[in-house]
Amino acid sequence: MCNACGNPAAPGHWTDAGAASPGDRLRARFHRAALLNAVLKPYGLSAHDGGVVPGIQVGTLSGAQTIVQTLDDLWAEAERLAGQPIDPLDPRYLDG
Amino acid sequence: MADTRLRLTLLGGYLGSGKTTWLRHQLHFGAFGPRVHVVVNEAAEVPVDDALLSGADGMTLLSGGCCCCSGRGALIAALRSLCDARSRISVDAPRLERIILETSGLADPGAILQAIQADPVLVNHIVVDETIVAVDALHAMAQLTTEPLGRQQVEAADRLILTKTDACPPTALATLRASLALLNGHAAVTAATLGEAVPLPFLPADTEPALLPPLGFDDQRGPIRPTQVAIPDGLDWAAFTLWLSALLHARGDDLVRVKGVVRTPAGRLLLQTVRKVVQSPEILPDQGDARLDNRIVFIGRGYRPQDLGRSLHRFLGLPPPSPLHEGP
Repeated sequence: MCNACGNPAAPGHWTDAGAASPGDRLRARFHRAALLNAVLKPYGLSAHDGGVVPGIQVGTLSGAQTIVQTLDDLWAEAERLAGQPIDPLDPRYLDG
Repeated sequence: MADTRLRLTLLGGYLGSGKTTWLRHQLHFGAFGPRVHVVVNEAAEVPVDDALLSGADGMTLLSGGCCCCSGRGALIAALRSLCDARSRISVDAPRLERIILETSGLADPGAILQAIQADPVLVNHIVVDETIVAVDALHAMAQLTTEPLGRQQVEAADRLILTKTDACPPTALATLRASLALLNGHAAVTAATLGEAVPLPFLPADTEPALLPPLGFDDQRGPIRPTQVAIPDGLDWAAFTLWLSALLHARGDDLVRVKGVVRTPAGRLLLQTVRKVVQSPEILPDQGDARLDNRIVFIGRGYRPQDLGRSLHRFLGLPPPSPLHEGP
């Protein structure tokens, strides 16, 4: 448990596999946030991970912000903020 | 650092499919190694199975409620107390190596896996390494035709044990095996009578599976099919996990299983999911058969098989895959 923010230490989410040292983990977080930002841009969303606070910050162009802990939560929140489903097998995504 | 977590083997199968008989025999011959604890769940209030299992080092009986639904709390508590007792013993001292969870015949192994993964204590102490499902060769066909639960159990398996094969006519056995391959193409299938392994006859390639009628909403979207997707060289693990988590979020109920070995800079990662649950990836030793690396099998329904590879390539910003790399 983090004393400052009350976030329980997540039990190693599966997406963090392979990043063993704290430096690797931080690098992986920055890298993931940058990728995610590019992925969410077409939906009018942005993603940011400062590396300090646990979680990924997702925001809309109008300023709504939310923090999600895992990628599982992320997609649900992104769909809610974007107001549309996000599906990698959607024909519009595949052919667009 | 070596992975010191407890291994858990899930043993499932329909009512009367021969789970306990098989397990008793395996324990007697030490097939699961030393220091095994068996957790048996009985859906009925009256425990009957506990007298049968004496080959294990310890046994916990959970009666009165199936542990994938009404008895879930009791299961989690029992597993936690096992982990707790084990954690008090030094890593170097002999201590519990493995838990075998024999589910009730009414349990969906996928739901149990989900419960273990969702528990903040157990996920750090237990790694589920195999789901074994006993299939009654005499009655399974009828169960698969009428019971959604029978299909869920088969779909969740890593290994299928056909039981009572000695009493089953050869043609019926061949039809059953073809039907099982349709439901769950990646599970290894072996046979056992009274717990003792018996060889399976050669299965002709043209054996027709039985017609399984749709049961409920899920089955109307076509049969479950395996699709192999080749992972491009030099894969960006972070991008891949983003894609897979988005895919599981959108299609998790359709994707019964995802399984494969991915080469990453950290080593070979064994990745497996059951519906929306992803098990924490294990780093595999570098030796072993590397030919199947960087191939992921998606088992599911409700999408066009070629779309999986196209979607992954698009997500990674690569040109569409050549058709050679796809197909079942």
